[in-house]
Amino acid sequence: MGGSMALGAADPLVAPIPGAPVLEARDVAVGYGGVRAVDGVSLAIRPGEVVGIIGPNGAGKSSFLGALGGQVKRSRGQILLGSRDVSQLPPHDRARLGLVRTFQTTSEFARMTVFENLVTAAEGDSGASLKAVILHPGRTHLREQELAQRAFGIMERFEMTHTADLYGRELSGGQRRLVEIMRCLVRHPRVLLLDEPMVGVAPHLTGKLIDDLRAIAAEGLGILVVEHALEVVRRLCDRVVVMAFGKVIAAGEFEEVVADPQVQAAYLS
Amino acid sequence: MGAWSFYITTLLVYFVVDALSAFSLNLQFGYAGVVNFGFIVFQAAGAYVAAVVTLGPSGPASFQQYILGSHLPFPLDLLAATLAGALLSFVVGLFALRRMRRDYQAAVLLIVSLIALQVVSADVPLFNGSNGLTGVTWPFGQLFGATATGSPYLYLGYAAVIGVLVCLGVIWLSRSPWGRSLRAMRDHEDAASAMGLNITSLRLQVFVLGGAIAGLSGGLLVEYIGAWSPGAWGYAETFVIFTAIFVGGVGNYRGVLVGTLLVPIIFLEIPRFLPAIGYPGLTDSLEWVVVGLAWMLCLLFRPRGIIPERRLKAARPASPLETAPAEGSA
Ligand SMILES: Nc1ncnc2c1ncn2[C@@H]1O[C@H](COP(=O)(O)OP(=O)(O)O)[C@@H](O)[C@H]1O
Ligand SMILES: [Mg+2]
Repeated sequence: MGGSMALGAADPLVAPIPGAPVLEARDVAVGYGGVRAVDGVSLAIRPGEVVGIIGPNGAGKSSFLGALGGQVKRSRGQILLGSRDVSQLPPHDRARLGLVRTFQTTSEFARMTVFENLVTAAEGDSGASLKAVILHPGRTHLREQELAQRAFGIMERFEMTHTADLYGRELSGGQRRLVEIMRCLVRHPRVLLLDEPMVGVAPHLTGKLIDDLRAIAAEGLGILVVEHALEVVRRLCDRVVVMAFGKVIAAGEFEEVVADPQVQAAYLS
Repeated sequence: MGAWSFYITTLLVYFVVDALSAFSLNLQFGYAGVVNFGFIVFQAAGAYVAAVVTLGPSGPASFQQYILGSHLPFPLDLLAATLAGALLSFVVGLFALRRMRRDYQAAVLLIVSLIALQVVSADVPLFNGSNGLTGVTWPFGQLFGATATGSPYLYLGYAAVIGVLVCLGVIWLSRSPWGRSLRAMRDHEDAASAMGLNITSLRLQVFVLGGAIAGLSGGLLVEYIGAWSPGAWGYAETFVIFTAIFVGGVGNYRGVLVGTLLVPIIFLEIPRFLPAIGYPGLTDSLEWVVVGLAWMLCLLFRPRGIIPERRLKAARPASPLETAPAEGSA
């Protein structure tokens, strides 16, 4: 662990749970009207593991992530977070249980500072409820200080402290991606779903982001990442799942998967 | 008391009522992104309820018909008005704020405003129909043998104290972690819920809280002017308040105060002093020209308002995270 990772030891970013897997999808399907965007996808992620999803445009990758996060309605299938079935829960309840995500189009809070973007992510806890704010001002104040500490710790780790007071809309595309990821980490997640996190990130920074994500996963977090750039997938992911037309057509180690002729046909055509 | 000082006092009471409305709408729209095009309905609910709970019982022989007639003492009159605004916004919010696009929510709320006006105008036994209610009194003033119109300074002071307290409360809540959640919801609903915020509940909370303040403002208004009828709460009134917060600065309460002073008070009063020109009613229509002009000038020159939303800078944590020796500390 390098100097910038020292914080991780004192303040674990993730809440590891023993046992496997941390997230499991069973036969998940999503339909939009007549379109079968996702058609029976199953996969499992263990703590500490980074799993990549690749596949051509329109393969259903984002829809699958939406089904996992609860943003998109499933037509069938089950989603288990740890041993708990979260299939029926709304997105905010899944997030509170540790399943957080980023979006394909950046989703920073544009008229809030980077610092506010981060601390707001913790607001889903009851500490920020109207009741808590009114009835327990002292506790709220303490909580704010703890949160500030944590937010600055995470910004430090991603070398983003200088952007703390910038509005989301004032950031570069790559910085917005980082804000989304940092925001997720504030919540002590168990699973992180990333939809094309490298889009807009300057090429010379992707290496650092890959290292950071690997370091975070090493603390016991499961990461599922949709990514186009095969080179990024090779360096970032332990395992790869290939989707086409809503189905998984191959899964396994990067090298064997990309060598699969079926994958080459679907992915390179 | 001279006509001028009475006029100025009246304007100031209106200013307090409008400021309450604008603060409430700014909390809903500027902070939470809820486009409440039916705002005036909740103020009207408070006004009607404050009126009937102070007017006394209404019988078949009474010259005006209404429900809930009683003689509630201070402060139950204003409490009833506040609850009326809250309750109505809860009921309306349950169906108007369901998960759908914000412009659809706004449209539904505008339609609610139109329907409510029709229903109240047509249903005479409810609140005396289109004739409205008159003879409303001021329970707090009665404690001292005063009436609102008999002691306008006293009423102004009374309204100002309530207004300042409520407005300070709104500012405090807006700056709280709860207010920050509202802004996150405003900026990106999906991301906010993916971070654990219960959007449906937050939106309903801010809608009901805003509705409660609207109801209170209606109660304060009706006890001063003594009468209330459908003519007082056309949907256009909602847009006057929207104009005020746009001109002043959405999301900035200082700006909202300036906008409230400019739009409903100064801009809409100026046409009254113009010499009567053209056909009767022309000056009234001019008011809407003024509102429209205010919007356009604002969009052209100060799109974020006269005093825009302020950036809140983060206080660096007291004990810096000096786990590693600071590099390059000169
Ligand atoms: N909201 C939507 N409504 C209708 N069809 C959609 C919607 N979102 C995605 N689709 C369709 O579902 C399929 C899968 O899309 P998506 O999940 O975005 O794929 P990917 O992320 O792999 O590019 C595509 O055919 C797309 O056109
Ligand atoms: Mg996609």
